[in-house]
Amino acid sequence: MKKKKNRLGIKRQLFILAFLAPTIIAFCMFYLYPIITVLATSFCKWDYTNIQAPQFFGFANLFENYKYIFDTYPYFWEALGNSLSWALLGVVLQIPVATLIALAFSRKGRSVKIIRNIFIIPNMISSAALGMIFLQLYNPSYGIVNPVIRIFKEGFTDNILLLKGPAFWAMTFSYIFFTGTTTLMILGNIMAVPEEIKEAAKLDGASGWKADLYITIPMIKDTLRTVSILSATSGFLLYNEVFFLTKGAAGTYSISYVIRELAITSPRAQFGRANSVASIQILVGMAIIFAINLGYGAVGRRRLKKGGSL
Amino acid sequence: MKRESKGTKIISWICLGWALLVALVPLVWLVMSSFKEDPLARPGFQLPESIYLKGYISTFKDLHVMRYFGNSLLVSFASVFISIVMISMSAYVVARLKFKGKSLVNMMLYSTMFIPATALTYPVYNLVKGLHLYNTRGALIFVYACSGLAVSFFVIKNYYLNIPPEMEDAARIDGCGYVSTWLRVIFPMARPGILTAGVLAFLNNWNEYYWASLVLIDKEKMTVPALLSTFTTTFRTNYNGLFSAMVVIILPPIILYIIFSKFLVQALSGGAVKG
Repeated sequence: MKKKKNRLGIKRQLFILAFLAPTIIAFCMFYLYPIITVLATSFCKWDYTNIQAPQFFGFANLFENYKYIFDTYPYFWEALGNSLSWALLGVVLQIPVATLIALAFSRKGRSVKIIRNIFIIPNMISSAALGMIFLQLYNPSYGIVNPVIRIFKEGFTDNILLLKGPAFWAMTFSYIFFTGTTTLMILGNIMAVPEEIKEAAKLDGASGWKADLYITIPMIKDTLRTVSILSATSGFLLYNEVFFLTKGAAGTYSISYVIRELAITSPRAQFGRANSVASIQILVGMAIIFAINLGYGAVGRRRLKKGGSL
Repeated sequence: MKRESKGTKIISWICLGWALLVALVPLVWLVMSSFKEDPLARPGFQLPESIYLKGYISTFKDLHVMRYFGNSLLVSFASVFISIVMISMSAYVVARLKFKGKSLVNMMLYSTMFIPATALTYPVYNLVKGLHLYNTRGALIFVYACSGLAVSFFVIKNYYLNIPPEMEDAARIDGCGYVSTWLRVIFPMARPGILTAGVLAFLNNWNEYYWASLVLIDKEKMTVPALLSTFTTTFRTNYNGLFSAMVVIILPPIILYIIFSKFLVQALSGGAVKG
């Protein structure tokens, strides 16, 4: 009896191991090994002059790369500011708009369904293609944005992608409202709110947008947190729009763009310095996710307290 | 039942109108411009004088669009297949069996959500070169199969957790081993969740530009998004050609979407996306 159980135990162990192995191998190759490399070589002199052999700075000059990035490299602070702004806009602009649209989609009707299906179309084409389309829309000689500006400001012939300030917003608007998949995820959860709760709210006199605000949105808080994290991270990591629209001109660098420029695009590639920017990207990215979790947690607790005192 | 108030209706329609505007303006303008012989002469939303199709004809003749779609399809399908099989195996073990180090595996996968793939640019680029995959479609399949582990893992794991454990007990009593229990009973039952994860991953990989432009050099191996970055130099001042080629590039996914929209909408809105 005991022997049999043992054999079953070994079988079980083997099964667990075999089923976990591919994922763990993928994790080690694609995440663990690269992360260790990034963190370790961010403290090394490693550039186009010593591609094969990264050189440790030694403990006295441990932060040499970071110092260079902070003090000398001209685009770092601009890139960090932009990337943080895009992360913030994801939470305060993209998700609220996506939620409003999802709420509108949750109403019944044939035309609603058609509009819903149309709204997802831009998400089926790549952000690269959208970037290309917006590059044309913003073109001063044949696009549609300049004629609109000319209504307010006669004789406007500048390319808005080359104006510091407007270029940032032009880039933001080229992606931020295309929230098809996010809206669908939110919609899926709105639909999953039990009918009885909505009925009860109606009896209490809450209907329409009031009910959405006080009943539906708190009910889908977990999903909102998840999509907020996804949209903040993707805003923080923005690369394609920068590449297709401005290539970093007019103050539109992003952190990802800096990393790629330092490590790959530049003929005098600086791997160590790129990896120190990458380390900062990892740390700040974690901080953003942490902050969003904290924020949602705080809102949840406050609501609970309010509910308790009533 | 009380009908919705006027205010609610107005807000709803503003949102719907906005959604329609956002989705359609860029696409309609693009299609319109592609019919203009010289977009410079009739800029903005002016209608084309006559329908000019030369750009389309040359796009089909010279661009070999189908080749790039073939590449995109191959890379997306292969990588989604690999990652979904891999993840649905490990997610099952984590969701259902007790073992040492389970929380470690969970944490490991959770941590990948915190790691921006672009931060790993250079090491992964090096790894791809080291594996002799650089400038092959295999490199992209490798990168896509390994990235985005976390989202698939949590979607699928949540789905497994909803399946009653009695199903496994019944299968065991019928004499199924671990592998066949998973393969014959659990995997088919978890199909909706796996499908959601698969569709999400497919869309991501299909539209992915960053890695595609990093690990491929030869034009004939490129995926559609990577091809797009060559357009500005290919067409230079031939705007009619540029617009036509872009329409041709974005049309197939839109057609596929129209055919499968019901399935896609269901897959994307049905999956458990709770953190």
